[in-house]
Amino acid sequence: MKLKALLFTTAALTGLGSAAIADDYTIGVMSAQSGYLAPYDGPAYAGFQFCIDEMNAAGGLNGNTPVKLIVRDTRSDIAEGVKVVQEMIDEGAQFVVSSADADPTIAAAQITAADSIPTMTFAGTAPVLTQVGAHVFGSYPADNQQATVLAGYARDQGFEKVWLVKSPDSAYTLGGPEYFGEVFGVLGGAVVGESSYSLNQPDFSAIVTTIQHADDAPDLIVTWAWEPDFPAFIRALRGAGLDTQVMGGDVLDTPTVRGLGDVVAGVVHTSGGFPDEGSAYADFIKRFTAATGTEPDNNYYVNGCDIAHMIEQAVAAAGSTDPVAVSAAMAELKDGEGVMSNFTFAGTDRMPLRDVVVARITEAGEKEFVMRSSADLAILPQP
Amino acid sequence: MIAPLATQPARLAAANLIRTGVALALLVVVVLGLTTIFGRTGERIAVQMSVNVVAVVALAVFCGNTGIVSFGHGAFMAFGAYLSGILTMPKALQRTALPELPGFLAGHELSLWLSFPIVAIAGLAFAALSGGAIARLVGASATIATLGLLIIVHSTAIGAREITRGSQTFFGVPRATDLTLALGMALIAIIVARLYRESRWGLFARAARDDEDAAIALGVQPRRTRMIAWCVSGGMATAGGALYGHMLGAFSPASFYLGLVFAQVAMMIVGGMASVSGAVAGVIAVTLLQDSVRQFEGGAMVFGIALPEVFGLTTVILGLAILLVIWARPQGLVGSFELGPGADARPLQKIRAQTAAAPSPARVQDKRLVAEGLSKSFAGVKAVTDVSFEVPTGRITGLIGPNGAGKSTLVNLLTRAYQADTGAAYMDEVDLTRVPHHQVPKHGISRSFQNLRLFRGLTAFENVLVAALAVGHDRRTAASVAIRELKAFDLSDMAAFRAENLPYGARKRLEAARALAQDPAMLLLDEPAAGMNPAETDDLADRLIEIGQTRGIGILLIDHDLKFVNRLSEWIVVMNRGSVIAQGTPEEVRQNPKVVEAYIGRGRTAQDAALSPSAPEAGTQTERIPS
Repeated sequence: MKLKALLFTTAALTGLGSAAIADDYTIGVMSAQSGYLAPYDGPAYAGFQFCIDEMNAAGGLNGNTPVKLIVRDTRSDIAEGVKVVQEMIDEGAQFVVSSADADPTIAAAQITAADSIPTMTFAGTAPVLTQVGAHVFGSYPADNQQATVLAGYARDQGFEKVWLVKSPDSAYTLGGPEYFGEVFGVLGGAVVGESSYSLNQPDFSAIVTTIQHADDAPDLIVTWAWEPDFPAFIRALRGAGLDTQVMGGDVLDTPTVRGLGDVVAGVVHTSGGFPDEGSAYADFIKRFTAATGTEPDNNYYVNGCDIAHMIEQAVAAAGSTDPVAVSAAMAELKDGEGVMSNFTFAGTDRMPLRDVVVARITEAGEKEFVMRSSADLAILPQP
Repeated sequence: MIAPLATQPARLAAANLIRTGVALALLVVVVLGLTTIFGRTGERIAVQMSVNVVAVVALAVFCGNTGIVSFGHGAFMAFGAYLSGILTMPKALQRTALPELPGFLAGHELSLWLSFPIVAIAGLAFAALSGGAIARLVGASATIATLGLLIIVHSTAIGAREITRGSQTFFGVPRATDLTLALGMALIAIIVARLYRESRWGLFARAARDDEDAAIALGVQPRRTRMIAWCVSGGMATAGGALYGHMLGAFSPASFYLGLVFAQVAMMIVGGMASVSGAVAGVIAVTLLQDSVRQFEGGAMVFGIALPEVFGLTTVILGLAILLVIWARPQGLVGSFELGPGADARPLQKIRAQTAAAPSPARVQDKRLVAEGLSKSFAGVKAVTDVSFEVPTGRITGLIGPNGAGKSTLVNLLTRAYQADTGAAYMDEVDLTRVPHHQVPKHGISRSFQNLRLFRGLTAFENVLVAALAVGHDRRTAASVAIRELKAFDLSDMAAFRAENLPYGARKRLEAARALAQDPAMLLLDEPAAGMNPAETDDLADRLIEIGQTRGIGILLIDHDLKFVNRLSEWIVVMNRGSVIAQGTPEEVRQNPKVVEAYIGRGRTAQDAALSPSAPEAGTQTERIPS
C-alpha cells in the first residue's frame, strides 16, 4: 500500500499526462546526468538552461514565446532514453533536445518521427545521425567537417604522408581519422598506413613500433583517440623517440590533455570554438561564470547555449511553434547567429555547417589559436 | 498434521502449478496496476519491465539452475536484436542503412511473428555452439568464460560493419514492442522457465549445482545438464534481445555490453537467482524503485516544499537498495524457494490423489562386484595398493580399517570417481574401470558418501526422485519409487522438507534412500551410521538387514562402528595402510592378530574390538577424499 501511495503521490506531483500550457513552447531535454554521457550532457544542459533562462527573463524566445523545459535524466541508458522521450511527447514537448551521442539521438528521433517533432542532439558529431529523418538536427560541427578543415590545414602546412590511428570501438574514434584520410587524399596527400587500437588499451608500443619501422615513413599521425588512450599513445610515441607531428579531434581540447607536458607540445587539434578576447563567446563565459560560479572549461556549455539560439531563430523563421514548420524552418536557416560560431543548415543534411577552429598546444601547456574555417562542401566526405 | 506421503506427488504438482501461477500473477498485477494508475506512462514502464522480465528470467534459467553467474547473456541479446532487426527492417530503409548487407540476409522484411521463431531457433543454435565450451566449466571459470563470450560477440558486432554498421548506431528497426507483445512474451518466458525448472533436466541441473560428484554418482551428466540449461536460457535470451531491439528501435553493440549485463544480473540477484519468481520480483522491485525515484530527480513540489534537482539520485538509491538487499537477504528478496505454497501447505493437504509406492523390486540375480589388484597413488602417496576382494549379491560385506586405511578411496575406485593406476574392478563380466563415471549406476551400483552429499536445495522427495529419474524411470514410476524408499527409511513426514533443513540422522537415511531408489544390485555405503546415536544406528541396521534380505542385493558397508559392522556383516574385509590385511567371517577377523594390532592397537584384546565405541580413534585424522 505504501508503494501504491508513493506512486500515486508521484503521479500527482509531477502532473503526468497533463497537457502543456498553450502559450508556452515546451522543450523536452534528455540529459544524461550519470554514466558515460554525463561529461557532455552535463555542461551542455547547463549552458542550454542558462541561455533559456536568460531568454525567459526577456519574455521568452524572440521576446514573446516563454519556454517550458521538461528535463529527464537518462542515466546514459538507451532504454531509459526511449521511455523519457515518449513521456516528453505525452507532456506536450514541441521540440526535443537529445543526449550527446548518436545512439540515444537516433532512438529518440525514431519516436519523434511520428509527429515530426524536431529533435536536436546536444553534441553528437556522427554525421550519420541525421539520416533518420528530416526532423533530426545536429548542433556541433560534425566529425567530417572537423576532419575536412584539419586535413586542409595539414596539406597547407605541407604534410604529405599520414598514418591513421583509429579504433573501431566507437563511431567517433573510427570516423574522424577515416574522414581525414579521405579528404587528405583528395587534396593530394597519401595515407601511408593505418593502425587499430581498442578503447582503454593500456599499451601502444606495438603500434608505435609499426610506425617507426614503416617502409614509407609518415610525416603526420592523425588520431581521434581520447583519454586515456591518447595520453598512453603520445607517451609511447615520444618515448620511442618519434617526433612526428600529431593531429587529432576536438576531444583533445581538454585541460588534462594540455597538462600532459612536453609530450603534447605542438599537438594540433580541432575545436568547436575559441573564446577570442571581446568575442560573444568570451562574454558568454563571463556571464555564465558570474551567474553560476562555474567557469566553462569546454565548448559543450556554449554549444548548449547555441542550441537555444538555433531554436529561437527557427521559431522566428517559422512564424509558429508548429513542429513541422519549425523543422522546415530550421533546415533552411542560413548563417544563423550563434555564440560559439554561426550556423547554416541550408544546403546540408541538417548537420549544421559551422566554423571549425584549429588549435595548437604550446610548450607551456596553453591552447593557441591557429585558424578558423568552415568545411568546403565540395570535398566534405559523405557518411 | 502432515498429509500422507502417497499424495506427495500430486501435492507437489499442484504446488508447482500454483507457484507458476504466482509468478505470472505477480507480473500481471503489477502491470495492471501501473497501466491503471498511470495510464500511458505506466504502460511504458510496464513494457520496459516486461522486456526485462524476459531477459532476466532467461538469465536465471541458466544461473539459477546451474549456480553459475553468467555475464554472457548480453551476447544472446545482441544476436537476437540485430538478427530480428535485419529480418524485419523495411527494404527501402535497409538499402540505405545497410547497403553492403550480404544477400542472404537482405530484403526479407518479415513480420515479427515470423521473425521471432527464426530468431529463437538461431539463438538455440548459437547457444549450442557456444555452450560446448562453457558447459565444461563450473564456478568462477565458467563465469569468466561467459564474459569472454560477451567480449567476443561485442567485438564481432563492431567488426561486422556490413551487417551491424559496426560501432555506429543500427537504426530503422521497427518499434513494434508494445505492451501486449512484451507482456505476452514475459508470461511465456515465465512458463517456459518454470516448466524447465521442474522438469527432469531442471532437477538434474539443480542436483549437479548442489553437488556435482553426488549427481554424477547417480548417473547425471552435469555437462549435459548445463548444456541444456545454457541452450534453453540462450534461446530465451535471444528472443528477449529481439524484443529489446524492437523496443529501442536503434542501438549499437555498446547497448548490449557490460552496462546492460550488470543491470540485469543485479535485478536477478536482488530478487533471488535460484527461483523464477525471484527473477520476476527482482525486475519488478528494481523497476518500481527506479521509476519512483526518477520522478523526483528533476525537482518537484512535495507538500508545498520545492525539492531541488538532484540528478543521479536514481543511480545512488538503486545502488543503496541493492547493497541493503544483499546485506539483509543474501539469497535475494524471494530467497531460494519459489514464491507460493510448498507441497505441505495446508490447502494442498486436501488433495487426495495418491501415487502408490512402487513394489519392492524383484530379488536381484546373483552378481559379483570384484576388486582385482586395484592400486591408486596421489602425488606419490599410495592410498590403495593391490587390493583384491569380492562382494556378492545377497550378502552384507563389511569393509573396515582405521582412518587413512584407504576405504573411501577404494569405494571411489569401484565407482569410477577415481581412475585406478593399476588393477580392475568387475561387475560380473563388465570391467568398471572402462565405464564412464556417470554410467556406473546403469551397471547396478549405487553409493552413499562418507560426508553428506545431498542436494541441499532440493526437498527430500526431490532428492530421491532425481536418483530414480537418473536411472531412466519415467516421472510417474520415479515418483512411486521415491515414495517406496522414503517410506523404507521413515522419511514420510519430511518428504517436502529441503534436504538442508533435515535433522542429521534423517539426512544420513536420505542418502541411503536416494541410493536405493536406483534399484541397485550392489549398494556401497560409506559410513552410513557416522554421527548417529546408538538408537539411530540400531534402527538403520534393522532397515538395511531387511532391505538386504528382501531385495537380495549386495551391500558393501564401510564404517568405523565395529559393533554396527559386526552385527550386519556376514563377511568382513579389513584394510590398513591401503592394503587388505585380512578377510573372513566376523569371528575369523576378530581372531586375526594382524587386525587386532592394526585396527585396535597393541595390548588390547579382540573382545575390546567388538565393543569399542564408534568414534574414530583419538589422534587419527578424519578421512577425506583427496582431490
